[in-house]
Amino acid sequence: MISFYKTRVRLFGPVLLLIMIVINGCEPVAEHPKVDVYKFEKPAHFPEPTYTFRNNQVNEKGFKLGRRLFNDPSLSRDGSISCSSCHVQSHAFADIMLHPFSFGVEDREGKRNAPPLFNLAFQKEFFWDGGVTHLDFAPILAFESEIEMDLSFEEVVARISRSADYPALFKDAFGIEEVTGPYVLHALSQFMLMMLSADSKYDRYVQGDQQALNSLELKGLELFRQHCESCHQEPLFTDLSYRNNGVQRNITDLGRETVTEVPQDRAKFKVPSLRNIEVTSPYMHNARFETLKQVLDHYTEGVAEQVSIDPKVFASGKPVISLNAEEKEQIIAFLKTLTDPGFLTNPIFFNSND
Amino acid sequence: MKVFKNISSMLLLFVVVLFSCQESENPTINEMGEMIVKFDNYVGNQTMILDELGSTNYRYTTAKGQEFNITRFGYYISHVKLSGPNGEVFVDEMNATADASQIKGYYRVVQGEPDTYNIHLKDVPAGQYNKITFTLGVREDGIQEGAVGGILDRAAGGWFWNWNSGFIHYLFEGHSPSSPVVQGDITNRVRLHIGGWKNIPSENEDPQRFFDNNVEISLDFDATVRVSESLRPSPHIHMDLLKVIGDADFEMENNIHSPAAGKPFAQRLAGAFIVDHTHQ
Repeated sequence: MISFYKTRVRLFGPVLLLIMIVINGCEPVAEHPKVDVYKFEKPAHFPEPTYTFRNNQVNEKGFKLGRRLFNDPSLSRDGSISCSSCHVQSHAFADIMLHPFSFGVEDREGKRNAPPLFNLAFQKEFFWDGGVTHLDFAPILAFESEIEMDLSFEEVVARISRSADYPALFKDAFGIEEVTGPYVLHALSQFMLMMLSADSKYDRYVQGDQQALNSLELKGLELFRQHCESCHQEPLFTDLSYRNNGVQRNITDLGRETVTEVPQDRAKFKVPSLRNIEVTSPYMHNARFETLKQVLDHYTEGVAEQVSIDPKVFASGKPVISLNAEEKEQIIAFLKTLTDPGFLTNPIFFNSND
Repeated sequence: MKVFKNISSMLLLFVVVLFSCQESENPTINEMGEMIVKFDNYVGNQTMILDELGSTNYRYTTAKGQEFNITRFGYYISHVKLSGPNGEVFVDEMNATADASQIKGYYRVVQGEPDTYNIHLKDVPAGQYNKITFTLGVREDGIQEGAVGGILDRAAGGWFWNWNSGFIHYLFEGHSPSSPVVQGDITNRVRLHIGGWKNIPSENEDPQRFFDNNVEISLDFDATVRVSESLRPSPHIHMDLLKVIGDADFEMENNIHSPAAGKPFAQRLAGAFIVDHTHQ
């Protein structure tokens, strides 16, 4: 009985060793497994992406090519602006305060505030009015718009084809001998798809880190869910719908109506995400507000009766949302937890040709 | 043992028979042929001739009596299907992709480019056919896959709307003295761009948003034709622009560029196509 016990004990060590060898043998050999930073990975708490990755998988070469195109002013008519002129990384790829409206070639002023760019793989429609229905097509409008880059997409691709460097880069990324429109768009999409913002304090909190938000911010989250959530739905902080929140005193921009051709959509604009809102001032399609306090004041006091005004912000002759000064401060404290410093400073987006 | 041997040899025979059946299918079922569908564009009973941009040579007259000419004309065809009296069916393969050489099932007839007048259908099962069905336009499956190449590539002249994603299914541009539209130094301009690929139906008090202006067109041949390895029939389809213009007034309807505005014209598209005759 004793000897049997000893045998078991003596066997235990080698067997355990064998098991460990087998287990370890299954893991990568490298001591520091290489993380592919150019691979699209859906954040665990996000919905399924809508982008057609089956036609355009993100990879390092395509991404870097897209980054170069994004930063290239030669793709505007007079060589003066690039995508990055109005989409600045430190502002979550929105425009800087000095440009309340996007600006184009010859300092032409646009009519809307350049929206931030992130989590685009989860959007269904693009631009403030949602007329563009696929991310791949978004750059065409920016290139061709007279108040933006004012260059026909045909000429964009022709300039790329004529350049000294691009054809070889396209061949390397896509295996093509001749640069054509869809590959230019695929490269730009690859760059934009990687603009994922999902690592704010808020994200850490909802993923289990109870310490990520302080008590002020938690109170703000509670108020946010009570007053704002119905349109700014988590985790994207938009329900992707189009609404008139009364931000135009007199309606001059028809917004969604231009696309749908029905007056019921007059002055409606896409509900913007509130992620990184701390760094995307000025706010609203018409850049009417500079501070988050002004935005909240608009919802509690500024909204007035107007054609197509959204019933969630104005009903029975008065604003729906009611908040006192302290509550506003709490909500603003929460909104600032949506800032994602890792995204705003991620070096993979820096303009470099490495 | 002997029984077992018998059983195994019978099994072997059975397997051989099974496989030989697969290998030697009825040869007539596998036989493939081709068909060339030819599109001829007309304006009433006149053949279609293009004029230079800015031309004041008005060759044609609408039902309303308004003179006009044509500077640019064409349309997309997709989802072609053939069917026959004995259950023959051919469905043209569709593929929308960035690689232009892999685009399948999309065609564009462009006036002035004779190569585009013939749609060459390949791998058509041998048999009899007496009907063609096609979509006039590019449906959702050609748009929502994202950037596509070839005749769908805007950089290569694809007729794509940048502000309201989608293709111009049917395009007519020209001049009419009835149209007051002036663009730069171009006067009397008429432009009809029919597009739109989705319907968001009306609900309660909400009206319909967007219009799917793709039109499925089914045309009977004037005679049944036979496709085989040696027989390549060719139906000739006539398209009449006057039927699409209908009773439109160029004084008002001269600059059509959206799904809602294009809807009345799209509703007349199906009536503009007929199979005029068929070559066996």
